[in-house]
Amino acid sequence: MKKLFALILALAMALSLVACGGSSNAGGAADTSAAPAATGDSSGTTLRLVNGKIEVDAQLKELAAKYKEETGVNVEIESMGGGVDIQSTIKGYYQAGNMPDIFVNGGSSDFANWDGLLVDMKDEAWVQDTDAEYVDDNGAVIGFPYTTEAIGLAYNADVLEKAGVDPTTLTSPDAIKAAFETIDSKKADLGLDAVVGYCAEASSLFWSTGDHLFGVYIDGGTARDDTTYIDMLNDGGKLDEARLTDFANFVGLLNQYSDPNLLVSGTYDQQILNFASGKYAFVTQGSWIGATMTADDADAYAAAGNFKVGMVPYAFQDGMDTIMTNSPSWWAVYDGPNADAAKAFLQWCSGEEGQDILVNKAGFISPFTSCEFIASDPFAQTIADYVAAGKTSPWHWLNKKQGIAQNYLGQVFNDYAAGKLDAAGFVSTMEQVCQAAYAN
Amino acid sequence: MNENTAGKKVLSLVLLVGGLAGLIGALAMDFSHSPVAFRGPLLIIGAVAILAGLYFYPTLEHHRSIINFLFVFPLLFTFAVTVLIPLGLGIFYSMTDWNGVKMNNVVGLANYGAMFREAGFLWSVLLTFLFVIFNMVLVNVIGFCLALLCTSRLKGVGFFRAAYFLPNLIGGIVLGYVWQFVFNNVLIQLTASAFGMRNSVLAATPTAFAAIIVVYIWQYAGYIMLIYINGLVTIPGDVIEAANIDGASPLATLFQIKIPMIMATITICTFLTLTSAFKQFDVNMALTNGTGSVQFMGNYLTNGTQMLALNIYNTAIAKNSYALGQAKAVLFFIILACVSLIQVRISNSKEVEA
Repeated sequence: MKKLFALILALAMALSLVACGGSSNAGGAADTSAAPAATGDSSGTTLRLVNGKIEVDAQLKELAAKYKEETGVNVEIESMGGGVDIQSTIKGYYQAGNMPDIFVNGGSSDFANWDGLLVDMKDEAWVQDTDAEYVDDNGAVIGFPYTTEAIGLAYNADVLEKAGVDPTTLTSPDAIKAAFETIDSKKADLGLDAVVGYCAEASSLFWSTGDHLFGVYIDGGTARDDTTYIDMLNDGGKLDEARLTDFANFVGLLNQYSDPNLLVSGTYDQQILNFASGKYAFVTQGSWIGATMTADDADAYAAAGNFKVGMVPYAFQDGMDTIMTNSPSWWAVYDGPNADAAKAFLQWCSGEEGQDILVNKAGFISPFTSCEFIASDPFAQTIADYVAAGKTSPWHWLNKKQGIAQNYLGQVFNDYAAGKLDAAGFVSTMEQVCQAAYAN
Repeated sequence: MNENTAGKKVLSLVLLVGGLAGLIGALAMDFSHSPVAFRGPLLIIGAVAILAGLYFYPTLEHHRSIINFLFVFPLLFTFAVTVLIPLGLGIFYSMTDWNGVKMNNVVGLANYGAMFREAGFLWSVLLTFLFVIFNMVLVNVIGFCLALLCTSRLKGVGFFRAAYFLPNLIGGIVLGYVWQFVFNNVLIQLTASAFGMRNSVLAATPTAFAAIIVVYIWQYAGYIMLIYINGLVTIPGDVIEAANIDGASPLATLFQIKIPMIMATITICTFLTLTSAFKQFDVNMALTNGTGSVQFMGNYLTNGTQMLALNIYNTAIAKNSYALGQAKAVLFFIILACVSLIQVRISNSKEVEA
């Protein structure tokens, strides 16, 4: 009797194991190319999208609900962010045979991980509607653009107006220096803590300096198809010394006029909150801060009068009159059994209903020319103006060697801000560090 | 009786053969990328059937060894899946150009060569050894002093024991961020008003390294204290009493009686702090993320406070060099294995003495 009981118990346990194995295996089957059961009827299809912008998680779920309502296809949104390394998480999914159908990729080094595993979307209709799609070296369209972001020196239009500075004239280092001096002398009257909110903290804000600000060295003032400086960098870490020296002097200007409490040891939250509260005239962040200002910092922003904002170029050389705009990352379709359903979903996203949610709810700035919505984001207007005037440069910092901002560049900006390096030291150290980064 | 045995034998053979067929079939389907969803359950049913067949096999001669094997099997299996196989794979991957998704070439020892040519990595190794030495001494001294305090006849000793131990219950990442806030937002107010120092201690390499040590001691000393308390309370009261009667001063009692009596505890604690300091990762990552600049071997390095474990993680994850990171991890394994072997040897010899 006891034996029988033990046997039954063992069987029950084995069965529960089998049940677990069965369900995980259904997921595993999805990574093999021919799974007839999965593609049979489209209404039962479930797509999985890995989103890298956790701040729009709710809006994307709304987008998925709308799509299900119209087509019956279920889209699961899996949002990652806040320090999660998305690429390595997806690599884990790949090893486990649990690949999402659509996932986010940030640039050439990300896409290189998935060489031969992504769907070429060059025949999709939306490709004709945008110039921001990601095209690989072989001409295959493997990235769907979903938003546009801009990097420039963001300013508080109210403060500039009161100080008598015309932002359209700020296209040379001398003009910017003069503007900084003017505003600095009137700081008390304008209610400012400092002229610029520039933060070079290296452990969690390395991306602001090492990626974005260094990206200005790479692409500042260049034409959209110009890849001179990124090509040089990727050729063993070479830098243009004259250009870098001008850039170093400009960063020196930021160091000089930044809020000293923020400069070396500040945080992103502090930086944006102070800007939204009207304590800085300028802030060295891109258009994405609009979302933070109108959500997390909405109270402070309202108290400061919901001032108008704009962007001026980081003009570290004379005549630089462009801001840098690009798609910050792309959605790629994994070459699995649901590839066709995923392509259909992306096509729908680029259409009117999809854009309605992505632009009006999620606040994305549409990369599609047929889209007529304008986001309510504070920076949407200034980006639209620069795009209309053709005064944009691309950004290529995504194509740098992976991890170089976090492991190398951010620290150099930090040392320069802390006064451990002067402008010449910044240039020579940058050169040495870039070579070291590309050496291994 | 005979019939029963024969029946059992048939059942057992059927289970064994059927299980083996199921197992092999499922594996074959998996390797040929067959879309049959049933292959997972088949694998498990096959494995269970083999084990059941072994169990029912009617033999007196081998009964004991079969049962022994069945009892050890779950542990062996888990150990193989979680330790042995990953270790083998890891050593293999360290000799390829694996990028976390796929590998194209076997590169031999190239990753190991690259690893030792990288100044930043050598700095991480040196820094880790420094960290280990500092912590082994400081954590033990402080933990022991706390233990002495908490075994004295003070009021509220129970409360203090709990209070000192509490930081150990907080995860390292949380702790790192809490202390980062303390250093960047609280301490900076004090240093700014006292010395006009506007930069946090985390912004300069030497002070940041000291900060990591402080946080680590704060986290770990309470745990070590608890072990020392256990050691101290096992010292027989009559020995201490005899020393008192003989007129030994408290200091003499401490050095001549208490410390010699707890030598075994001291050995345990030394190795505990040694291995855990070697593996330091979470506080390091949350507090400084390895940043800090330093001049080392003629190079300006940007990973001033990056210890070995974090260096491995960053190489693989942030720099996307999985194979190189794996090579560093193998070296890390060798170092830790040596430490553990020495520990086992020393502990064993102590046991013989006692």
